[in-house]
Amino acid sequence: MRRFISSLHQALKAVRAFKLRAVFCIASVALGISAITVIVAATEGAYRRAYEMVDRFGPDAMLVLGGSAEARAIGRRDKTITVQDVEALRQAFPTAYLLVPMSSVREVNISYGNRRHQTRVTGTTEGYSRSWSWPVVDGRDLSEADVKGMRNVALIGAQVARELFANTDPIGKFFFVRNVAVRVVGVLEERGTTGAGHNLDDRIVMPITTAMKKLMNEKTYVNAVRIRFLDARNMGRYRQEVRAFLRQRHGLKPGQPDDFRLLSSEEIIRFLVALTGSLVIFIGITGVMALVVAGFVLANLFLLSVSERSGEIGIRRAVGARRRDILFQFLLEAIALTLVGGLLGFVLGVAAGPLLKLAADFPIYFSWKAFAAGLILSMLVGLIFGLQPARRAAAVHPIQAIRSG
Amino acid sequence: MSLCVLEKVSKTYTTGDLVVYALRQVDLTIDPGEFVAVMGPSGSGKTTLMNILGCLDVPSSGRYALAGKDVTAMDDDELSRMRSEHIGFIFQSFHLLPYATALENVLLPTLYLERPVDGGKSRALELLSLVGLEDRAHFRPNQLSGGQQQRVAIARALMNDPELVLADEPTGALDTTTAAGIMRLLSSLNERGKTIVVVTHDPEVAAYARRVIRMRDGVPTEQPSGRTPRPLTAHPPVTP
Ligand SMILES: Nc1ncnc2c1ncn2[C@@H]1O[C@H](COP(=O)(O)OP(=O)(O)OP(=O)(O)O)[C@@H](O)[C@H]1O
Ligand SMILES: [Mg+2]
Repeated sequence: MRRFISSLHQALKAVRAFKLRAVFCIASVALGISAITVIVAATEGAYRRAYEMVDRFGPDAMLVLGGSAEARAIGRRDKTITVQDVEALRQAFPTAYLLVPMSSVREVNISYGNRRHQTRVTGTTEGYSRSWSWPVVDGRDLSEADVKGMRNVALIGAQVARELFANTDPIGKFFFVRNVAVRVVGVLEERGTTGAGHNLDDRIVMPITTAMKKLMNEKTYVNAVRIRFLDARNMGRYRQEVRAFLRQRHGLKPGQPDDFRLLSSEEIIRFLVALTGSLVIFIGITGVMALVVAGFVLANLFLLSVSERSGEIGIRRAVGARRRDILFQFLLEAIALTLVGGLLGFVLGVAAGPLLKLAADFPIYFSWKAFAAGLILSMLVGLIFGLQPARRAAAVHPIQAIRSG
Repeated sequence: MSLCVLEKVSKTYTTGDLVVYALRQVDLTIDPGEFVAVMGPSGSGKTTLMNILGCLDVPSSGRYALAGKDVTAMDDDELSRMRSEHIGFIFQSFHLLPYATALENVLLPTLYLERPVDGGKSRALELLSLVGLEDRAHFRPNQLSGGQQQRVAIARALMNDPELVLADEPTGALDTTTAAGIMRLLSSLNERGKTIVVVTHDPEVAAYARRVIRMRDGVPTEQPSGRTPRPLTAHPPVTP
């Protein structure tokens, strides 16, 4: 232990003495580590966002979307889920404690006095705000009576409240949705913007009965159904059951593709991870390459250093240093340098992170994990690429070294 | 008991088919407290002898015992330990660490001691004042003259209080006046009981020793020195 501490001391002294070597090693390791730091932070950021979204989506939630995956891929939104499907699902799945149909129209003109705005109208039932865990902060929620009675009432998002009502209290006011006069009964809590750039607060929510009849001219189909189950752990099973149930109701034969899509938190995570993956791979390759280059820079500078310092090695050996003392000293020198490079790289990464966020709206989150990954990797670079020169140093024959010095 | 005992020690170097005898069947004994000068033409084996005495090298054949321990069969770690505990080296080109201060250079041998010693720093400072450099403790080698650098090297050689101090042409890089100063310092160490072996080409330097060994083609021959041998009375070991 004492030998270790004095070796460390000696190593640090040498690190400071050979400044040019230090600068090059530190700089090259710092570059690699900063890239790695950003990757770890980006991965962590993506996972955090994924879990945030899952949290918002609900781990016990499932979304049934009308239309096959193929149709959606080419931009068509086929309507395949009927009002009757919704009722049948409700009967068949008693564990589904919330089952909310939804139909949306986008870019609907709304107005209040001379204020005009375009927004998205979602027709749904009284469970909507609960099913999205999206509280009504002002006024009241939609009621069963609103839906049954096909009332002209609406919940409005925070953005709509600002656009139409500015600073005045919107509750109880009538405004026009196209040419239908609708009364504001509640305001939804501010939700902000999704990762994809949708402003969630720019919407109004109405009874689905009202919306289908008066805005969509639709009797049969809904866009989607949101279901929440009592037991989040059985989501995999529920998913299979809902799928089988709908396939049977829609009369699909084996081999025929689904004419609907099921979305649960699993898919959301998978999607986000795939999205992150490409960037992570890109920066990852860059980072690893930078680290390997840094390693070779270090190895070469150290080899140079070993022959330059053979006199020093010789004299240390002459006064009693064993081979492993020399090996240790040079390894510690390498690791000390790469650690400093790692720390610097972390700082660089933290500085570069926000730029990446600005440039690509990429979720980045720095934590001890990014820090630890940087330190461990930089130590490994020092250890791996410092080993060969350190062994060379330990093998220096004291007689030759002293003779030539 | 003799400090160094060489029995039929040979050292050969093989380059291709050619076998060079650097040392040939050397029988040599050095007792504690001796001051030996080794002279001889270039290539006669002086440095080779010093390397073997100093456990930097092992004989190709024959036996060498230092302080009662047979060195011949020791491995590299054991040899390192022998050097650390029994030997102080002084070289022609000083071999100080350029990036360390005089004090740190003197302390270098303590880093590799098997057992830690307390008060290393104060001992190092005492040694620096012994060699007349108490006010240069925090100077770096490039801020010191050649003679001063060699004094630092001498202090370093004494740091672990070795029985044997080996100096291979310690004055080779110095002018005559400075060389005389260094030799007086070595003499005073010897007078305080240190065993010293000096390799030199310079008869004036050799004159400081009480025993002169002349090397020729790897074979040493004793030569009476100018000075009368001092009886080996018990002297206190060099303190500090
Ligand atoms: N590593 C080696 N390989 C081959 N031959 C060697 C080696 N080291 C020494 N020799 C040979 O051994 C002989 C003795 O060398 P040594 O260095 O001991 O001479 P020296 O008396 O110290 O000479 P100098 O006065 O020039 O320092 C020489 O012939 C030398 O060429
Ligand atoms: Mg020589």
